[in-house]
This record gives sequence, C-alpha cells and structure tokens, in this order.
Amino acid sequence: MTRLGPLITLGSVLALAVVFLLANTQAGKPGSAAASVTTAPTTTAPTTTSAPLHALYAGRSSGNQVTVAIAINGHKVAADLNAGQASEVSLQGSVNGSNFTLTSHSGPAMTGSISGQDMFGTVTGFLGQSFPFSAAQAVVEAVYTGRSSGNQVTLAVATDGDKAAAYVCNGKTIEAWLQGSVNGNQVSLTGTKGANLTGSLSGLDMFGTVTASAGLSFPFSAELSPRPAGVFQARIAVNGLATRIGWAVLPDGTQLGVAVAGTTKYPAPPLDLSNDSFTLGGASFTAAAVAGNETVVSP
Amino acid sequence: MTSQPVAAYPARDQYAKPLLVALLSGCGVALALGLYAKLHHPTKYALDVAGFSSPLYAKAWLTTAAVVFAIVQLITGARLTRQAAAPAWMATVHRWSGRIAILLTVPVIIHCIYALGFGTYSARVIAHSVLGCIFYGAFVTKMLCLVRRDAMPKWVLPVMGGVVFVSLVALWATSALWLFATKGVHS
Repeated sequence: MTRLGPLITLGSVLALAVVFLLANTQAGKPGSAAASVTTAPTTTAPTTTSAPLHALYAGRSSGNQVTVAIAINGHKVAADLNAGQASEVSLQGSVNGSNFTLTSHSGPAMTGSISGQDMFGTVTGFLGQSFPFSAAQAVVEAVYTGRSSGNQVTLAVATDGDKAAAYVCNGKTIEAWLQGSVNGNQVSLTGTKGANLTGSLSGLDMFGTVTASAGLSFPFSAELSPRPAGVFQARIAVNGLATRIGWAVLPDGTQLGVAVAGTTKYPAPPLDLSNDSFTLGGASFTAAAVAGNETVVSP
Repeated sequence: MTSQPVAAYPARDQYAKPLLVALLSGCGVALALGLYAKLHHPTKYALDVAGFSSPLYAKAWLTTAAVVFAIVQLITGARLTRQAAAPAWMATVHRWSGRIAILLTVPVIIHCIYALGFGTYSARVIAHSVLGCIFYGAFVTKMLCLVRRDAMPKWVLPVMGGVVFVSLVALWATSALWLFATKGVHS
C-alpha cells in the first residue's frame, strides 16, 4: 500500500522552499517590486556568520585622530592604527560572525562590526584615549613588500583586485618579474625561466616562497606597505641598448633594483622617490609605479 | 503461537527496495544541498522575516519553535511506536506537529544556503553545515519510508525519526543556542 500523505508533506516543503528562494532572488534585484515591500531585504550583510574572506578596510576615527587600516582574512583580522609621529600600533584579533575584536601587546584594543562595505567600532586605550571609528572597504589595490628569510632577495608585490604583479631582485644579478593572481587568500604568480611566487595572505602579511629562477627558491615574508613602497619599472634605451630596470621599494624608502640590457645585468641606479626619477649614463629618466593589473611578463 | 515473527519483520525482499530508494534519495538530497550551499555564491542578504531585530534572530526563533514541535514529535512518535493501541488523535498530532516543524525550518534553510552557504570557518559552523544537510536528507528518507510504511520493518520509522530529531536538535544547538548564549535571548 502506498501512502500519499508523506509525499504531500514533502511536496509542500519543496513548494515553500521554492517560493522562498524565488522571493529571495527577486528581492536581490535592486529596484524590483519585491525589494520595496515591507519585508525589506537586508541589503547589507546581515548580522550573520560570514565576513568577507579577504578584504581591506581603511578609515579614520571620528575625531580624525588616527587612521585605521584593517585587513580581514577568513576569521583572522589584523589592523594598524596610525596617529602619525611614529605612534603606530599593530593589532591582531579574530572575526566572529560580523563582529571582530583585536588586541595589541602595548595596550590598545579594538572592537567593531562589519556591515557590508563598512565597518564601525571603537578603539580603546590608544594614547590614553578611546574613540569610535569607521572604515570602508578599500579597493583591493595594495602593495606588499618584504624580504626572503635569509635576506637574499627583496620583493614587492602589487595587487589590484584579483590580479597581481611583482618584482623580486637582489640588487645585483638576480631579478625576476612575476605576473599572477590573488584567489581568496592565495597568491600565485609566475615569470619566465621558472620564476614563480606562491604565497598566502594572513592579516596584513603575505608569506610564501619565491623562485627567482630555476634553483633559486627562498621563503619570504612581506607585509602590506604604505607609500613609497611599490614595484617600479622603467624601459629605456641606454647607449642604444634596450634596457629594462626594476625596483622593489620598501616602505622606509629602501630600494633594490636591477637593470637588464640583453644578457647584461647591473645594479639599478637609485630612484628618487620624490618624483620617481633616476639618472643613468648622464641622462635623466622617469620610472613608473606598477599596478597589480599591469602586464609585466610578456605572454 | 498465533504471532509469527514474520508479521513484525516483513520479508527482506519486501522492504529492501523501497528502503534503499528512500535512503539513497535522502543521501542525494543531503549531497545536493551541501553542494548547492558550497558552490552557490553567498549573497549575504536574504528576505527578512518581520518582527525580529535581525535575520539571525528570526532564524533562531523559527528553529527554536521547530524544536518545540520536534519534542512533541518525539513524545507522540514514541507512544505510537510502543503502543499499538495509541489513540487515533495521537497520530494526527504527530503528523501535524511534524509538518509544522519542517515548514518552520524552510525559511531558515533558504536563508542559510542562499545567503550564507556552506561555512567551514569554525568547528561550530562546519558541524552546523553538515548537520543541516543530514537533517533534510534524513527527513526525505523518513517521508519516503512512510510512503511504504506497511512494508517496512518496525525499527525503520523510529530510527529515521530519531535521526531527524537528533540532527534538528543539534542544528538548533549549533545555531540558535549559540546565538542566545553569546548575544542574549531577545527577539
């Protein structure tokens, strides 16, 4: 004997699910009729479980005392508070649902919550003060700079959304341009002659391994770096020789670069970071900061 | 002498096929839900249920209500299983409390899988995601077992009902209870 009752129950559950799914799909379309009815959709992220997998937020305190940079990575979060005059604090913490808390060794702490593209919260104990802050999700255009663990090479990675471009060199003979992508917290770039970089983003840091050329692999750590840090390059003609120069510039202005003309490599001339200019062979040239979405490795 | 074991335990070839179909359907539903939740890009928003401070609390209370009905299910289900002569209204109560309970969970699961997806960022969230798939899979299996109830051995319905009940209570514990414990009990 076959009973229909349970099938009707199953069917009604399925029907209700379809109705809800369709209602949600309609509500998701901005300006649709369903979006304006009383059961308004929560257009921003609900106060629910998931924060963005990887996102950078930038903002400032309400009294404009400090700038706030916050990087979220899975349920880890890292932040930098900067009030200028060398009063900079790094904080670390975790994301729980849409809320996050951060602490630092030196005292200051932060709490807040993420609401879609924005975050709001409070900084406590920073220079003896507490104040609210707000920050907005930044365009994920960022520069990570660092060194290999044995200081053999210096590298700079520029990211723009899910694209990345990087330059790694030792200032003399080792150098490589790399092109790739950011996928979630995974960074993967490749260059010519076996050069590649794989890394993962963790808070404000990037850790991984960079291979400048076959057989020259180094573990490295890099961190999110403010100007003047960056990847710089210049393509010029020196004494009739097509020359490509790359620089990896660290946030403190330290720079390492290599000039390549055919098969000859030599240390790059110092880059004047005030106007990105340099002189070579008596002539003055200008270098350009490389964005993450630029092509630096010829396909 | 009159009771034959055959009466309580139907021949295997009589129930094997429908039971297998029910179990495989349940597995299929659980797998499909999990895959959809994992592959569908979370929208981060969904329709709100009016009257609550946030979608999260709406979900928590809906799930709590479902658990209350599920407890009714457990009590009436146990009576129906143990006593052949349970009053007729008890079967009706069992059926309707179950229907209400499962319908209460529908808006919740739609929000879960449509807006949030299959989360893996903490043990609680992994457990909740997996349990959600198991719950609906077990529910489908139980409904399909009921379709051929007369052919099924006596243990099938209590076992499937038990799985549905336990997974629902565990779902509630990993979501609503967690929310009430961390953010307070309010609407």
